[in-house]
Amino acid sequence: MTAAAGRLDLDKLYAARLLAVRARPYLSTALFALHIVESPRAPTMGVDRYWRCYVSPAFVDYTPVEELASVLVHEVSHLLRDHHGRSDRFAQRHNLSGPAERLRMNIAADAEINDDAFGHGLVRPEGAIMPATLGLAAGELMEDYLHQFRLGRHTQELAWLDCGSGADGSDREWELGPDGADGLSEQEREAVRFRVAQGIIGDPGTTPQGWRRWAQEAMHPPQPWRDLLGAAIRAAASASGAGADYTYGRPARRSAALPGIVLPSLRRTPPRVSVVIDTSGSVSDVELGSALLETAAVTRAVGGRRDLVTVLSCDAAARITDPLCRAEGIPLIGGGGTDLRTGFAKALRAQARPDVIVVLTDGQTPWPAARPSCRTVVGLFRREHTQHDDEPNYVPAPPTWARVVHIG
Amino acid sequence: MPSYAPYAPLSDRAHTSQLDIAGELLTLLGTVTTEPRADSQLEALTLAVAADLPVLLWGEPGIGKTAALTQLAESLQLPLTTVIASVHEPSDFSGLPILGDDPATQGVPMAPPEWAVRLVRAGRGLLFLDELSTAPPAVQAALLRLVLERRIGALQLPAGVRIVAAANPRSSAADGWELSPPLANRFVHLQWTHDHDVVVRGLGGTWPRAMLPALDPEKLPEAVLFARRAVCGLLAARPKLVHQLPTSETRRGGAWPSPRSWDMTLRLIAFATAADSSRDVLSLLVRGTVGDGPGFELLSAIDRMDLPDPELLLADPAAAELPERGDLRQAVLDGVVAAVRKRPEKSRWDAAWTLLVKAVQTGAPDLVVVPATTLATLRQDDWDVPASIEQLTGMVSVSQGANRAAARVAAQAGR
Repeated sequence: MTAAAGRLDLDKLYAARLLAVRARPYLSTALFALHIVESPRAPTMGVDRYWRCYVSPAFVDYTPVEELASVLVHEVSHLLRDHHGRSDRFAQRHNLSGPAERLRMNIAADAEINDDAFGHGLVRPEGAIMPATLGLAAGELMEDYLHQFRLGRHTQELAWLDCGSGADGSDREWELGPDGADGLSEQEREAVRFRVAQGIIGDPGTTPQGWRRWAQEAMHPPQPWRDLLGAAIRAAASASGAGADYTYGRPARRSAALPGIVLPSLRRTPPRVSVVIDTSGSVSDVELGSALLETAAVTRAVGGRRDLVTVLSCDAAARITDPLCRAEGIPLIGGGGTDLRTGFAKALRAQARPDVIVVLTDGQTPWPAARPSCRTVVGLFRREHTQHDDEPNYVPAPPTWARVVHIG
Repeated sequence: MPSYAPYAPLSDRAHTSQLDIAGELLTLLGTVTTEPRADSQLEALTLAVAADLPVLLWGEPGIGKTAALTQLAESLQLPLTTVIASVHEPSDFSGLPILGDDPATQGVPMAPPEWAVRLVRAGRGLLFLDELSTAPPAVQAALLRLVLERRIGALQLPAGVRIVAAANPRSSAADGWELSPPLANRFVHLQWTHDHDVVVRGLGGTWPRAMLPALDPEKLPEAVLFARRAVCGLLAARPKLVHQLPTSETRRGGAWPSPRSWDMTLRLIAFATAADSSRDVLSLLVRGTVGDGPGFELLSAIDRMDLPDPELLLADPAAAELPERGDLRQAVLDGVVAAVRKRPEKSRWDAAWTLLVKAVQTGAPDLVVVPATTLATLRQDDWDVPASIEQLTGMVSVSQGANRAAARVAAQAGR
């Protein structure tokens, strides 16, 4: 940062950074970690994945301080949100290559950042891409946007856009690369991201919802709920008493060949699974359908015969679950209310006691006070308002004895 | 084959069988060269094995976990014993109970399996427990004793035996059980991934040759001190981190902090320091032992240990060396101002100003603004403003530029 030579108006840039830090104090660590590199070849301002910020001197000259501050916040957001890594992964997963696709990723990444980046002390720079520019809804992730638009006439004016390899993962020729000076190592980059996230979690008061969510997920990226739900049900269904495990209750077939040695034998007891569905009107058919399908698939995989899977639901849900269950060959027992406690009681009162209860709910319900006599897996549909502590109609969290998987 | 022999073309190979030719082709295919290449995950694995901690490699099937283990055993010159956990019964790890004539008086001996006897007789070796996550719960419970107490039936594994296990992640283990938290807590968890470039270059005939870290005997006492200071410093400030059972579904089956895993972390930091490993390797090891969250906290605490102590800077501001990186420099200056606030004295206040002037002269002025503003508010009535403050003009002009821009933003928003 001492390289003040050349035509780059560093004082103007520093003033912009100071303004950015004042407007977004929780990003100050990240903003100060940027290593500023003067680069006449950069079109405007761009970042690389090593946290270098390439700045065109001409761009600084003709851009007012307040816009430079917004652009700095924008560029640092690319790095904090790991847009280069996510672009690489997206390209690999969908077998994409070529500069046009990378430009599309840059545009999608910009849309993800810009919908809540400006305002509150920062101006919106001229030509900033908003989701609305592409005709899309705000508040979604880069990956979602990438599925929703193609390059075409309406994106033609965006072709000059270039936030550097930090935004879309494709290296530019003017960048210094991994061996260049003053880059941050992987561990240093993660440390900066971690410190910013810690700052936001520690003092969430003034931070916008988007950044709070980022901070929560920065260090613990959400895993696909299908895998988690499957693993939870599988673990519950194969725990002692159900599933396949060793038992000394009956001698092993190997015993005949090994006189004098007592061997346990592998016994398989298919688990009985009760699925309790709670629909208080706020769970959409699509959500419920996909979760129920997943549950059915998992229970079949752990050896549950179809007659061992029971679905209990309230009347509102029978509409959706009935055809689905018939297709899957699951006997459906209707009845019950939106109060989950009755659902639990009904499941446990069944003639053959279940080994596992799987509950699909959005959490807007009272929970049983005592731990039920079998393992419980709760598939919880994610609802935004449950995150707020100051919500007036606060809903109790699922009890600790249940294994909770967040769905969606 | 013999029936085709009369029709084979006459050549100098007439007497060699097809299998010999196939063998020749296999030899050609097997001839590969190696090149030195730094590999963080292999270095982390080696350090953990050297530190005599059980390691658990998580990776999709077919990405070379076994190959890495073979290479590790070769470079450590240890014989490799592979045991596929999922095809064994619990008694293969806890010992087979054998009934004698009078069990009531003589007891029931637990006979160890053959591979364990061989391992104990050799006295040293690398025990590789493959497919741990697909082993049934009873087998996992038996393994607990093997990994923790190093006992198989009546046999005690000698100190020269190192244990490495491998498991498939939950998403790819179709019929897998998951690791119970007590078993998970005994391992150093390393994520095993393949590097695209390495695979392509390796299939082309050149595989990487890992550079194994060497422990420097002169650094040992210093490494132990450093590790103790790092872990104790963090845990003293954050008692909550000492023990945290995993609650969320994402973290189940992985590393989590407990006194045991912190002890393992301490050991690993000492080894990584003595081997002069990079921060990336240390990061893999620490996060693999206590989990991502606490691991990151420890790593950033270690980063902060490298920063100069505010008290030392205040004692001799003229000789102070401030870090180059902006965010670290900001952290140091904040620390200096906090130190002055804690014990406000005129001499310390003056020293802090000297430091701020130095920061403006040697780096970006904008990150001095906030510390300077805070420091100014600490002034007491009888303290004179030091003359050196004149040299902060660069900072003041930057600050004014920001103020003017902020006013413009506010005006625009008000319109």
